[in-house]
Amino acid sequence: MAAPTFQDTIRALEGYWADYGCVLMQPYHTEVAAGTMNPATFLRSLGPKPWKTGYIEPVIRPLDGRYGENPYRFQHYFQYQVVIKPAPQDVLDLYFGSLEAIGIDLRRHDIRLVEDDWEQPTLGAWGLGWEVWCDGMEITQWTYFQQLGGFDVELVPAEITYGMERLAMFLQGKRSALELEWAPGITWGDVYRENEREWSVYNFELAPVEILTRRFGEHEEECRLLLERGLPLPAYDQVLKASHTFNLLDARGALSATERAAYIGRVRNLAREVAQAYLELEHGADAAT
Amino acid sequence: MPTLLLEIGCEELPAGACREAEAQLPVLSERELGAPPTHVFVGPRRLALLLDDVSERTADEWIKGPPESLAEKAAAGFAKKHGVRPEDLVVRDGFLGVERPGQPLRDVLPERVEAIVRGLAFSKSMRWEDSGLRFARPVRWRLAKLDEETVVGETSFGHRFTHGAVEIPDAKEYADRLREAEVEPDAAERRRQIVAGLDAIGGWDDAAGVLEEVVYLVEQVVVLEGSFDERFLQLPERVIVTAMQSHQRYFPLGSNRFAFVANGGDPDLVRAGNENVLEGRLDDASFTFERDVERGIDELAKQLDAITFFKGAGTFADKTDRVQALVGELGGGEASSEAARLAKADQASELVREFPDLEGYIGGEYARLAGYPEAVSAAIEEQYLPDSAGGPLPQTEAGKVLAAADKLDTLATSFSLGHKPSGSRDPYGLRRAGIGLNRLAVEGGLAIPRSLLDEEVRAFVEERLEGLLDVPVEYVRAARASAAADLGSVARLAESLHAERESPSFDGVYTAYDRAHRLAGKSAGDAAPELDRSLLREEAERALAEGLAKVAIDGDTRKALESGATLAPLMERFFEEVLVMDEDEAVRANRLRLLLDVRDTLGRLGDFSQIPR
Repeated sequence: MAAPTFQDTIRALEGYWADYGCVLMQPYHTEVAAGTMNPATFLRSLGPKPWKTGYIEPVIRPLDGRYGENPYRFQHYFQYQVVIKPAPQDVLDLYFGSLEAIGIDLRRHDIRLVEDDWEQPTLGAWGLGWEVWCDGMEITQWTYFQQLGGFDVELVPAEITYGMERLAMFLQGKRSALELEWAPGITWGDVYRENEREWSVYNFELAPVEILTRRFGEHEEECRLLLERGLPLPAYDQVLKASHTFNLLDARGALSATERAAYIGRVRNLAREVAQAYLELEHGADAAT
Repeated sequence: MPTLLLEIGCEELPAGACREAEAQLPVLSERELGAPPTHVFVGPRRLALLLDDVSERTADEWIKGPPESLAEKAAAGFAKKHGVRPEDLVVRDGFLGVERPGQPLRDVLPERVEAIVRGLAFSKSMRWEDSGLRFARPVRWRLAKLDEETVVGETSFGHRFTHGAVEIPDAKEYADRLREAEVEPDAAERRRQIVAGLDAIGGWDDAAGVLEEVVYLVEQVVVLEGSFDERFLQLPERVIVTAMQSHQRYFPLGSNRFAFVANGGDPDLVRAGNENVLEGRLDDASFTFERDVERGIDELAKQLDAITFFKGAGTFADKTDRVQALVGELGGGEASSEAARLAKADQASELVREFPDLEGYIGGEYARLAGYPEAVSAAIEEQYLPDSAGGPLPQTEAGKVLAAADKLDTLATSFSLGHKPSGSRDPYGLRRAGIGLNRLAVEGGLAIPRSLLDEEVRAFVEERLEGLLDVPVEYVRAARASAAADLGSVARLAESLHAERESPSFDGVYTAYDRAHRLAGKSAGDAAPELDRSLLREEAERALAEGLAKVAIDGDTRKALESGATLAPLMERFFEEVLVMDEDEAVRANRLRLLLDVRDTLGRLGDFSQIPR
């Protein structure tokens, strides 16, 4: 059997989770550094309502770019994100079922769950879970959320984040993501190598520090204005934009360690305020703490 | 009497949580089941207890309450607290109490199982369901059996991917049935199998302590050997080893071979997959390494003004300046000065950002690749030594100087910012730095002037000397108060004072010091600022002053003691013939000064009042 292409694997995951009953969402319309930051995960994991979703997410991490020269590191790559809230008893078995659905024979490979305590300080979020290894390759990050935006989750969601490049490297037996077959006859590198080069130039060399610094403050300000009007959803977009602006400043080496910590704190405060506003709407205005 | 089995089935527990449970289960077993376990089984997916020959009834319980004499006041409250009527309280040996007769174990087992599950405490725990139960990872099943009877739950479960539910027909057969289902429940047995597997391959190494984690990462032990392309051998060895250990939990076998432990699967497939992953990691490391080398160590050093050492302590460029100055103060030569200039350059490297443990080591490699002399490169490599209480010291002179300068700066900077170690908290590793400095001085023979340490740091560092030297602490404390100019001299003085403690000259100096100190020590305020020879009226005091002028407290301790001991007979005569507390105030002040001079001159050898007799 020929190895599945990159797009085959995405389709197989979509099919599996759609059959399970997930709402298939699409990538978010502004930059996120992880599928977790898409409001379909971050906001929907808060509050008392059950929720099941799956979606592919291009993640943007300016600092991780290497001009398309490193086989492992990119400033733009893909996660397949699944959230099931609340996590059912058999949630791990459901996940293992998805691995079978994309062509991994669980009996013939060495699948291991290795402790990984997830923490995202810019979102005031943490959870416990694992890295999932398949023959030594980390193919998934698996987390039971405990807190988001500084608030305890009410129904504990399971977050399953497949690292699509690593997963496909395993499935296709490739050592470089650039060599992955995206579609028959077309590689990942064909599609994105030039993108990596150009964006690395921008992220590391050209992104305008002064403008970005000003823009960060503007996003912060706009977020608070929107919160005053009781609009947590557009306010959350400003959190994402502020967070991405911070990541660009970081990639430009424009921040000292102290400044870095201060920026992280500012994004965290915004995320907390948005989470609070979102929860107040979810619960009705007076119930949230 | 029956055998009791209790199994708590979990989603994969971290190794640390397994060890925490292993430590607590015997105690919980005694508390909840009335007896210690015959066997504790701990692994990633299950915690289990086996108790042979348990009593079928729980023990009768006696809950002791207030003394009978206080019955009127206290009985009602006590009874209410324990859910009985006051008239049901029983008196034993003058105390009220509640009698709880034992119950059939079978009846109470379900609640005892829950009590054990809830009684386990983990340093990191989580919620996953409405019950509010917290555990290291979700608990998915419970099984309790008394011999053949199932009291809680239904079945156990075998290997996650090759076996489903496993019937345990009898508690006694627990381990055997699981082994048939490709699960080795006993951590000690898994450890034995892993070590046997590694021994069969041979030449394995586990400096990073991977074994103790891997024991809790698998339920079934499959030890495999793999290799990677020899072209990666051009990477520095520790880069390869770090990539294997920190990410992959492999055991390096030297050259391009490694061993690892799998939890099952087809050995050929699993090996090929792991080899591929490691080569990918090494590719990535090579890429990073080559980029660092291309930039070169001098270029990296230029970027240190953008990297904070720690908050309030400036950048690594500031640290470099301070360390360079200290190298000068320590009398370091050209190699150590050059090494100091480049010592922190690797903090700007991508490889250290990725693998912080490589700091120092990789800086040394980058210096070699840039063509710096071996003395410079080796010193950079050795700058963090000794990095543990018994760890090796730098081997090169320049390395010793740089290592001492680095520690001096870290100590001085941390103390000035108020980051002093407290209790077990020592985030900046200052105790280790203090011990390291002393070892560089004592074992490494490096002269570290005490004047380089301000008072508080000096006290902190020299206190560490007390634990390091094999002499009673009083001798170290005595020597710390001496005029010794450097740390090594303090240590040698403490040792030689201790070695000389039975000698006549030690006795002479001790006695002279002691008498002078006792009489004049508390009256220092009344003493004249300087000795005035014209006021020396008595022959005995003139003789003491002349004798004192000849005393030489320098160099060899034994000679200094002999010289100091010449004062003993003069002091003896002084106290026989001279009345210190003369009526003439000036004479009295002068005599006090003379005694203080005796004490302070001998005190250059140490504070003898610290040494008990």
